[in-house]
Amino acid sequence: MTNLFDPELLDRCISCGFCLPTCPTYALTGDEGSSPRGRINLMRALDTGVLDVDDPRVKEEASFCLGCRACEPVCPAGVQYGQLLETWRDLQWTGRNRPVIAWALMTAAARTSLLRLMGLVRRPARGPATAATSLMLGCFERGLFPGVSRAARRLLPGLAVPADQGCCGALHAHNGQSHEGEEMARRLGEQLPGVVVTTSGGCAAHLASVLGRDRVQELSEHLVATGVTPTGEVRVDGRRARVALQDSCHLRNGLGVSAQPRALISAVADLVAVPGEASCCGAAGTYSMLRPRDSRRILDPKLDAVEAAGVDYVVAVNPGCLRQLDTGLRRRRSRVRAVHLADLLADAAGGQALPRPRRRAFRAFRAG
Amino acid sequence: MSLGQDVIVELQAIVGSDHVRTTKGDLEPYARDATPLFRGVPDAVVWPRTAEEVAAILRLATRRGVPVIPRGAGSNLSAGTLADRGGIVLVLTRMTTILEVDADELLARVEAGVTTAALAEAAAAKGLLYAPDPGSRTVSTVGGNVATCAGGLRGLKYGVTRNYVLGATAVLPTGEIIRTGGRLWKDVAGYDLTRLLTGSEGTLGVLTEITVALLPMPATTNTGVAYFPSLADAGRAVTAVIADGIVPATLEFLDAKCIGAVEDYAHLGLRRDAGALLLFGDDGHADAVSRSLDRIGELSTRHSALEVTLAPDVARSEALLAARRCALPALSRLGTLTILEDATVPRPRLAEMVGRIDEIAGRYDVSIATFGHAGDGNLHPTCVVDRHDDAAADRAHKAFGDIFATAIELEGTITGEHGVGAAKLPYLQARLGADQMALLRRIKAAFDPAGILNPGKLGS
Repeated sequence: MTNLFDPELLDRCISCGFCLPTCPTYALTGDEGSSPRGRINLMRALDTGVLDVDDPRVKEEASFCLGCRACEPVCPAGVQYGQLLETWRDLQWTGRNRPVIAWALMTAAARTSLLRLMGLVRRPARGPATAATSLMLGCFERGLFPGVSRAARRLLPGLAVPADQGCCGALHAHNGQSHEGEEMARRLGEQLPGVVVTTSGGCAAHLASVLGRDRVQELSEHLVATGVTPTGEVRVDGRRARVALQDSCHLRNGLGVSAQPRALISAVADLVAVPGEASCCGAAGTYSMLRPRDSRRILDPKLDAVEAAGVDYVVAVNPGCLRQLDTGLRRRRSRVRAVHLADLLADAAGGQALPRPRRRAFRAFRAG
Repeated sequence: MSLGQDVIVELQAIVGSDHVRTTKGDLEPYARDATPLFRGVPDAVVWPRTAEEVAAILRLATRRGVPVIPRGAGSNLSAGTLADRGGIVLVLTRMTTILEVDADELLARVEAGVTTAALAEAAAAKGLLYAPDPGSRTVSTVGGNVATCAGGLRGLKYGVTRNYVLGATAVLPTGEIIRTGGRLWKDVAGYDLTRLLTGSEGTLGVLTEITVALLPMPATTNTGVAYFPSLADAGRAVTAVIADGIVPATLEFLDAKCIGAVEDYAHLGLRRDAGALLLFGDDGHADAVSRSLDRIGELSTRHSALEVTLAPDVARSEALLAARRCALPALSRLGTLTILEDATVPRPRLAEMVGRIDEIAGRYDVSIATFGHAGDGNLHPTCVVDRHDDAAADRAHKAFGDIFATAIELEGTITGEHGVGAAKLPYLQARLGADQMALLRRIKAAFDPAGILNPGKLGS
């Protein structure tokens, strides 16, 4: 097999290695094969036929990569690693080689009827079908965190929320079906009028790559751009809440949005900077399901840092990250709670009560 | 060559089977460093954790005649960490402990795999400065910096890595672990093996631990930019600055092509209409820094600068320096194959050298952008061509041959800070002469009788 990759994209990399310190999987292994530069060398070897898709290391690395794209903003040569990874997985994860879980999730997400059913049961936000700006209901967010879209609409009552919307296809693009992923994004773009606001960093980046950057805004980006000032304050035990942020990788690295959620949190609570907040939490789309062990190896030090920072809440701007943080924090019975940015802002405005952080005494008791 | 199964089993016994990799897919990522056009696939990649493990690996390699190529982050630009004859790539990135930072003695002791930025941060946390500042500092390792005697952006005032290495622990190819130098500025007992190992490019021994000198952190630093109609004007301004008795920490230049490329990446608002810019910076007490930068601005204006601006704050100053550090990868956006070179001439001949480079580029019909350290005459002519245009790559190669010859003719050298590696070995004799080359080989043989350590590089 030769010339599998866009030569323009592959040639961009000059192997300078500036990406190495930002790569979470390279930090775990110290092996270049699990770094962006090393993975690009594996892609080159695929491209020239030196290695094939059945090579165990090639297989392993296509799946071990989180796809967090932390390597992109630090790359002075402008390598579009995310795009290369999509092509790689298209090659790698075909037919029987596609992970079963990813396949099942993608099939479910592609069924609009299933999404509609979920909408009936879980009751995400509702609204008119036409307006200048519309709210996207993420496929899994609809089922897992229906309150997020309701909170978003409370903040932005003017949004159109067509009930009959599909999935954006990010899941497909990242799991070896980039063509389908693109198609789905285009279709969703037709279903949603005007500027599309999304409560998911991952969906935002994927949609923007297909529909164009002008048409897509993540919630925090939209609020700041339209000058909607958050009101109120989030309080815990009679004081202002201490809140950390976990960046969404695709939002930060793909779309360059990181200041906006911080500005919004600062307006309603005390924003606490936590080391590692900008690096991947290990959720990475389907990653936490496909590679639970590696996902936890990435998550654990992050949760240690969040707990050490003594915050009440850690905010996510993406449903996958929210689920990851929530599961991890519950598992360790942490007093810290994971919440979505929309919920935090809605709580501050007096709209929606957040779960209370556990009392510290409980932990002390447990530790004792 | 390929390694016998028994060698692999022995390697596994030394470092544990998790830290020996030998499949095709495992080796491919280690077939390159940051040098374009060079490739060499090793037979095994091994990650030792201690000097003793390194010693055991080297003893095995000497006994079996297996090449060993030490490697840090592989960010070098001279093909210095390539296994072009196969063998074992010895990766030191697991050795990342900062052993001590001593504010009283003004020194730090680190394992070889610590990144330069991590060392600088640990020093800064105690109010100390690690002066060498290579562009690749966030990636490159201290061991690699010492092995290549890396330079950087503060070279004019502070010199290069060599000036800061007080001592080292090195493993010889025959397995002895030696400690050269120590913790002292003044120590003249014996041949200066610390200096010999510094810049030896992993051909004499494997550095496993390094003691470096630190300085008190300067109270302030600031940076300014001066734009000029041409690089020759900038060169005259540099001469005037030095003649005036000012030795700033940083005096860097970018030509028009580099300005455009850096601006495309970093969006700093640099003037694209200028023919060249000088980035100048200094550190020390606030009033001294401001005096020095004002004076450089004045002299620049007197030498036809179009505009001079000083960074209003630390963040802007850091952004300017960061932009300069990324000049190479940013330039690579202009084409698909980027060859960056490293030549140095005596400072007063910088402008002449740049003129000669332009003339050579014209003669070979290739596009060469130039940036570098104006303060110490160290330039990085960088050629960007189409990867698939073999004829152009060939012309670039020939152009660089002429550039090195010109540098030597102007009493300069073929590398100021990147090292010789495999890439520039063909030009080394022109710089050193036959007698010195022979001496280099005798030194190499004294350290490495079996010739296993980084063969095809210095001393070959």
